[in-house]
Amino acid sequence: EDGETVIKFSHVTNTDKHPKGIAASLLEQRVNDEMDGVACMEVFPNSTLYDDDKLLEAMLQGDVQLGAPSLSKFETFTKVFRIFDLPFMFKNMEAVDAFQSSDAGQDMMGSMEKRGLAGLAFWHNGLKQFSANTPLMVPTDAEGLKFRVQPSDVLVAQMEAIGASPQKMAFSEVYGALQQGVVDGQENTWSNVLGQKYYEVQDGITETNHGVLDYMVVASVDWLDSLEPATRDQFLTILDEVTTERNAAIAEVDAEARQGVLDAGGEIRELSPEQREEWVVAMKPVWEQFTDDVGQENIDAAQAINMNY
Amino acid sequence: MSSINRAPGISFIDRIEESLISAILGIMTVITFANVVARYVFNANILWALEATVFLFGWLVLLGASYAVKKNAHLGVDAVVDIVPAPVRRVLALISVAVCIVFSCLLLKGAWDYWANFANLPQTTGRWFPTGFEDSFRAKAWYEVNDIPIPEWLRFLEGAMNDGDEYEKLPRFIPYVVLPVSMALLLFRFCQAAVLVWQGKLDRIVASHEVEDELEEMRDQRGEA
Amino acid sequence: MEVVILFGLVIGFMLIGVPIAVSLGMSSVMFLLWYGDTSLASIAQTLMQAFVGHFTLLAIPFFILASSFMSTGGVAKRIIRFSIACVGHLRGGLAIAGVFACMIFAALSGSSPATVVAIGSIVIGAMTQAGYTKDFAAGVICNAGTLGILIPPSIVMVVYATAVDVSVGRMFLAGVIPGIMAGAMLMVTIYVMARIKGMPKGEWRGVGEIWASFREAFWGLMLIVIIMVGIYGIPGVTGAIFTPTEAAAVASIYAFIAAVFIYRDMGPLKETEDRAKSSLLKKPQALVTALFHKDTQATLFEAGKLTITLMFVIANALILKHVLTDEQVPQHIANAMLSAGFGPILFLIVVNVILLIGGQFMEPSGLLVIVAPLVFPIAIELGIDPIHLGIIMVVNMEIGMITPPVGLNLFVTSGVAGMPMMRVVRAALPFLAVLFVFLIMVTYIPAISTLLPNAVMGPETVVN
Ligand code: NA
Ligand code: NA
Repeated sequence: EDGETVIKFSHVTNTDKHPKGIAASLLEQRVNDEMDGVACMEVFPNSTLYDDDKLLEAMLQGDVQLGAPSLSKFETFTKVFRIFDLPFMFKNMEAVDAFQSSDAGQDMMGSMEKRGLAGLAFWHNGLKQFSANTPLMVPTDAEGLKFRVQPSDVLVAQMEAIGASPQKMAFSEVYGALQQGVVDGQENTWSNVLGQKYYEVQDGITETNHGVLDYMVVASVDWLDSLEPATRDQFLTILDEVTTERNAAIAEVDAEARQGVLDAGGEIRELSPEQREEWVVAMKPVWEQFTDDVGQENIDAAQAINMNY
Repeated sequence: MSSINRAPGISFIDRIEESLISAILGIMTVITFANVVARYVFNANILWALEATVFLFGWLVLLGASYAVKKNAHLGVDAVVDIVPAPVRRVLALISVAVCIVFSCLLLKGAWDYWANFANLPQTTGRWFPTGFEDSFRAKAWYEVNDIPIPEWLRFLEGAMNDGDEYEKLPRFIPYVVLPVSMALLLFRFCQAAVLVWQGKLDRIVASHEVEDELEEMRDQRGEA
Repeated sequence: MEVVILFGLVIGFMLIGVPIAVSLGMSSVMFLLWYGDTSLASIAQTLMQAFVGHFTLLAIPFFILASSFMSTGGVAKRIIRFSIACVGHLRGGLAIAGVFACMIFAALSGSSPATVVAIGSIVIGAMTQAGYTKDFAAGVICNAGTLGILIPPSIVMVVYATAVDVSVGRMFLAGVIPGIMAGAMLMVTIYVMARIKGMPKGEWRGVGEIWASFREAFWGLMLIVIIMVGIYGIPGVTGAIFTPTEAAAVASIYAFIAAVFIYRDMGPLKETEDRAKSSLLKKPQALVTALFHKDTQATLFEAGKLTITLMFVIANALILKHVLTDEQVPQHIANAMLSAGFGPILFLIVVNVILLIGGQFMEPSGLLVIVAPLVFPIAIELGIDPIHLGIIMVVNMEIGMITPPVGLNLFVTSGVAGMPMMRVVRAALPFLAVLFVFLIMVTYIPAISTLLPNAVMGPETVVN
């Protein structure tokens, strides 16, 4: 409507099943209800407007106001974000949550301001699991297999650490490539495994919980500065509340997605503590490669938090 | 008289443009093929292959668009143009080419504005037409592509563009530079076409379908005019 | 209302002779600057994004290249000989063989006009010599040529898959049964007409000729095998080897090798006025010189040029799509249609009509880029399978190619046969009726499209 601040929020998932989509829809609804006359939000789901990569360019350009790309997308801005891709850095989602709320995590949100991006909130998706077209119980099972990975140096190094061959592939081709055997496996969270139906075309999903897939809600610094202070405060308060509400629900969403995979006939392989330890031993050397990028103090902070969970 | 300069490779510039088009497409094919071989035969990967190929794809089409203007190869509808009398046709051609010139001017501004900050240069101000350069902006030469590593011989850019910070990947201003360059070429070629239309040497700026050349060849072989 | 102005501008520009790409781009820019709030820079970003953000579109230049190597080499000739050996002895046999050859060539090539040029340039002449009327010959090839986009690989399917984010591999599989059905329907129609009118029939040259011509055509036909096995694998023997996009690149390399080193129709080993075809053993340096031979360069250039003109249209259509999305037009249309109580049947009729009308003005791929995102959300809402919708759209594009005033295949056939457009239009009419019946079948029997992909790849996953 005339006079309202238009907030375009572009993301890449559906609006009602994916944790990010649900959170975005809730935010849209609350902003449009509570800030009526001041601001209105339009959500563009399913990459209809931008994919994550182009979203950040468009945001700096001022063509879109809000987005929530996955954390690895911010590695281009500052390499500290590589900490979230490092395998077995966090014990569980509670530890991730605590790290993100800690000083170290909050500093990371502000770390891109000199490049024009303001981090506003972390949104959870969950921990990543491995899947392949053969059973994966110990790291040697993955040897020689081809895994589709996101474009991230850490994930490439992680795959090489277990002797697997990392492959780059357009997201829309992944399901077909797994099914037809062009690649053998992939890594993702429960909600993505369920949403993309990867369980249909894989031997099974191994519950490794080896990495984090989370998002950060961002806006451009220039746009935030251009808002009326009252508008900005009200918006950020709503965002905070939505974040708290949806992040608190993530354990439940994750468990539902995991159950959904089971119900749909997917095979889930659980690891014994010894088997899990083998994965940790195989993949942890990757940390050393990236210590300079993420900072020893951040790793220490994450490990200190792990002790509490 | 639907076109001029149909025969390939007449001038030196033609030959450069044509070699470039062949070379880019050839390289795209070979990189993609090599990646398949790496994956299937050697269980290896060329992680930058996909991204490099799509950038080359963009270069091919954007740079080629101006060549297509020169050769009158852009697809269009000439059903109406064919049935109107010659004077009307000339007017329509003049209007069409004017539309094209305005379009390429607008795109040139857009392309510059998009690329400039990536290269630590100012965008233009103004919504439709450039009214000057912005005073302050956020330089974005630090912004790298996703997969293509920076070649060693481009390391000098770190000092020149990135405050001495190391580049791991190719900075985006390099592949994106094709935008302002190609839009400037496009504008230039449309202006040339406009001159030809004005002089009466060209009566339209479109080709009606994608296989016009092949058909022309066939007619030549049959000995038709 | 604004949207009506937008489309009015697009059509207006096109009719006065502005290139299609510029018509799409310019209308979008004007619309955006007048009504929208985004910048010209975002248009430039979308233009770049057309290539960098749509990995699947890469299949287009590669399939064009593979098809160029195949047409430059005498593969079409060998396919036609094989087709005639198989069905030439039937009444109306040469015409039936022409359809069969179009079907085979369609499985090598992603485009319809390319199919008409490759097959039509030989078969139309041969048919007139054998005593068919030129009109009949032109009508047959003009129609059968449209199979180029229905039988995989298909540029139009790549564009659809990209526009609505479904799997290219699935679309290709979905085209197999409809492609064979449409071809068979055309052949049966010809056979019936031939019996009634007593058209000529060729002589049966025996199984020996089938075998001999098959061996000749073998290396060309292998390309079909490479594409299909590469994308889908052989159950129990090998998994798939590459994605559909990569398949196109592999096909190009294979077609290059077949044309230069096996058939030696082009490149350093080909026959010239002063020498016969040479052998690679005698001229091993050809392995290197072939890469830079002028024939190779010329083929790369021809394919590159075609890629440029097609992709410039598609890239600008993507700008228009971006503008429509930005203004949330698809949602508005979806809501309007759904609240007007549209059911699946009425919806599909509307889609068919839109495409048949749009097909009069637009190059097929460009039209798909714009229409697919507009109708896709409604189709999903109505429970229509995205793959089924895709095949319906492709068949509509086929029909658009052979209906006046703007029909790509009409132009091309008129050029190939050296006939005036209106005569080609009349000649194509009887077979156009066949395609219409086929469109109705495809529209209302989803299984024709979805049976094979569902059997091979499991049911479609609607991710959105
Ligand atoms: Na085809
Ligand atoms: Na038509």
